[in-house]
Amino acid sequence: MCRVFSLISVPSGAKFFDLDLIRKHNMAHEALLQEYEARRARALAGGGEEKYARRTAKGVWNARQRIDYLMDPGSFIESGLFGSSAVYPEMENETQTDGKLAGFGRIDGRDVCLVVNDFTVKGASTSATNSKKIGHMKRTAIERGMPLVLIGESTGARLPDAMGSRGMGLLLGNDNTQFRRLREVPTAAAAFGPSFGSSTWLMCQSDFAIMHKSAIMAVSSPGLVSMALGEKVSAEELGGWRLHAEVTGLIDQFADTEEEVFDQIRKFLSYMPSHHREAPADVPVPAGSGADMAKVFDILPESRTQVYDMKRVIKCIVDKDSLFEMKPRFGKSAVTALARLGGKSVGIIANNPLHRGGALDADACRKIVDFIVMCDSFNIPFVMLVDTPGFQIGTEAERAGAPGKIMNFMNAMTLVTVPHISVIVRKSYGRAYVCMGGGRHSDEVGAWPSAEVSFMSPDFATKIVHGVGHGEPGFEEALADIRKGADVWGLAAVYAAQSVIRPQDTRDYLIRMLDVYKLRMSKGVGQHLMRSWPTSY
Amino acid sequence: MARIEVKSEITGTVWQLKAKPGDKVEGGDTLIVIESMKMEIPVITEDGGTVTEILVKEKDPVSEGQVVAIIEE
Repeated sequence: MCRVFSLISVPSGAKFFDLDLIRKHNMAHEALLQEYEARRARALAGGGEEKYARRTAKGVWNARQRIDYLMDPGSFIESGLFGSSAVYPEMENETQTDGKLAGFGRIDGRDVCLVVNDFTVKGASTSATNSKKIGHMKRTAIERGMPLVLIGESTGARLPDAMGSRGMGLLLGNDNTQFRRLREVPTAAAAFGPSFGSSTWLMCQSDFAIMHKSAIMAVSSPGLVSMALGEKVSAEELGGWRLHAEVTGLIDQFADTEEEVFDQIRKFLSYMPSHHREAPADVPVPAGSGADMAKVFDILPESRTQVYDMKRVIKCIVDKDSLFEMKPRFGKSAVTALARLGGKSVGIIANNPLHRGGALDADACRKIVDFIVMCDSFNIPFVMLVDTPGFQIGTEAERAGAPGKIMNFMNAMTLVTVPHISVIVRKSYGRAYVCMGGGRHSDEVGAWPSAEVSFMSPDFATKIVHGVGHGEPGFEEALADIRKGADVWGLAAVYAAQSVIRPQDTRDYLIRMLDVYKLRMSKGVGQHLMRSWPTSY
Repeated sequence: MARIEVKSEITGTVWQLKAKPGDKVEGGDTLIVIESMKMEIPVITEDGGTVTEILVKEKDPVSEGQVVAIIEE
């Protein structure tokens, strides 16, 4: 266009082809391109070579290294490379990209939206331009149906940008969808190093949150805590990976290495659809899947006083090497895991007698509910494997608000719209029987011959019903009577178990039943009645 | 060297000690067995290391969340 303009704007009488003028315009183009390249180089340099080199020396990856590792080669296209501080234009050269890199790329051939914080630029603190980038990535992901990946490392809100009433009014709260979570696209988040403020918030709002062991997730830094409260606390104690993996349950996984963080994100996304209006993709069934089923019943000890690791049972049943556990150190009497059965994504919810004998405490309930909500929101059928003596009782359980957590669990089970099958492996007592899919709280109940269902453990029921305790005359006879009434055949007789199955047939049974109950009329898409379920509730 | 507190997940009575100070352990190993709800419930360490202290003895009552062993990672 410029060249045409130069030709038609020559003064009358001049030569039609004014070569000098054309050369001048060509030089202007060159100058523009030179400026472009110079600006691009400055933007790509982020916080500068020295800062990048210091991180590299410590074995910490830089933002662009993280992008290169996560994305399919050559697939990343950046959005906002030339962004910088909108609050202080004079700081353009110190705020390259405004500290957060955004863009589109592919993971295993599938388009995703991505934000990766660049800690070398103002500690990747949140300000006006980079907030617009995050907002645009989130909006595009949701409107066009792409997973969203958020890689955090941040000092929190940028100061002084957000200081004072003008700063607050300009920077905070102007997008009321910023923290709206309707589970429309799978969201995976990671936290590295200091991850205060938005990096912590986004972890809490994601469907999969993984923490590098270097990361600290907290509302504020130990320094501010010390100043404001006089509380001396280490960063680890305030928001280290152990706290979040074992106590708060705010993260799903943790990792020792950078590679592991991104490998886990990639693996998580492989189980998920791109958005909530499609079913997850099938994959080929790995050779050797189901090979250990013949031995699955041997995992159960014959003595009912002894415990076992339910994860061994799960590994036998699901496709080979497909088990992907969530929150392994939180609420450990329950196991929640993504996996595949016959090449199809499936959620696994199981009691684990190895911990608390399988009794469900408040943490285990919360973990299961989080997982049910995710599976139902993203059209992932799930399987429940039941061996629980019931909900955890005692003062600790009550202090943790167990009844509220139990009713959340109960409520969630009434709102599930994806196929879900329950298999009673051993014990299923009391209200937990219903929460774990008993009655019509699952599409189909199968039970092993070892299943034992009653309102409470036969030992305690014997004392209450017959008034005799351990060691007292008549106890053994009374216990045998109570136990007989709890066996699987009563459940099958009244059609509360639709099938009693040989343990070694469990894998085939589940694959067949998930196919029987598939959502034919909606192409595998559920109703998402829990899509606005509160985070970490 | 991180000092890791291993806690009982459940209220009950110590039935067996499976580890002693000086033992090298791996994540997933059972250190102590608690009798609770008529079951034998293991106290399992998530992290490997060396056991430096066992803070209970057989037949001791333990409560949920009580630190029962210390491991140096």
